[in-house]
Amino acid sequence: MNAILLMSHVLFGVACIVAAVWLFVEVLHASEANLARIRRISWSAAAAMWLAFIIGGYWYVTSYKADKAIILSGPWPFAHALVMETKEHLVIMLLLLATYLPIVASDNLAANRDARRLMLWVTGITALLALAMDGEGGLIAMGVKLGLLPR
Amino acid sequence: METTSLSKSSVSCGLSLALTCVINAIIVVAKEKSDAVMNGMKKITGHHWITHALLVLGLFVAFALIFGAMNRGKGSAISAGRLLGTVVSGIVLSALIIVGFYLFAD
Repeated sequence: MNAILLMSHVLFGVACIVAAVWLFVEVLHASEANLARIRRISWSAAAAMWLAFIIGGYWYVTSYKADKAIILSGPWPFAHALVMETKEHLVIMLLLLATYLPIVASDNLAANRDARRLMLWVTGITALLALAMDGEGGLIAMGVKLGLLPR
Repeated sequence: METTSLSKSSVSCGLSLALTCVINAIIVVAKEKSDAVMNGMKKITGHHWITHALLVLGLFVAFALIFGAMNRGKGSAISAGRLLGTVVSGIVLSALIIVGFYLFAD
């Protein structure tokens, strides 16, 4: 069950990255023709992020304690002390950013230069922060793996 | 025809996003430095992180409503350029506080 939860968390997190990058490209070429698609993708990015957040949060609260003990007794204690500690708080910012995407997308991006500029910045930061969270997840998993290896 | 004015919801939620991100970072420092804050947050929902997340989400909604209600319901009159600067600065500042805290101060 834990493995399925974790893989779902990663799946939805990666879906958010893909949606944010796709959204960035669509907004660069915003016109009346792709406005509806931009709004659908921005809602998808937000929904994927909420799912990743809720699933990851549930796993963190219910199951992370055992992994934390393994990491702290292994050769990579920073995988918890720095990486997990920053991830669990930066991800709240990422959730707010992803939630903000469909709000900005409700403006007419085809006709509004400022809304387009704001959307590009928010989408770019969302994609970069989501990618950073993905990398941090990888480091945490490696911290557990190294902690389990015989020394 | 090109327009430049942002909608009330984009402005109020953008300002709220910037402010809430900074408060998020301040809560991190407060709970890690004060056992009383950490224990209080644990007591409210059973886990400090759940309380933290709910508090930040609640503040995001509350500040968005407050910024939206400014100027007799017309919302904050900030320019698009300043809003963008505020949003980006708020996010960068709070990320630096969080990473810097765990890197150097904790």
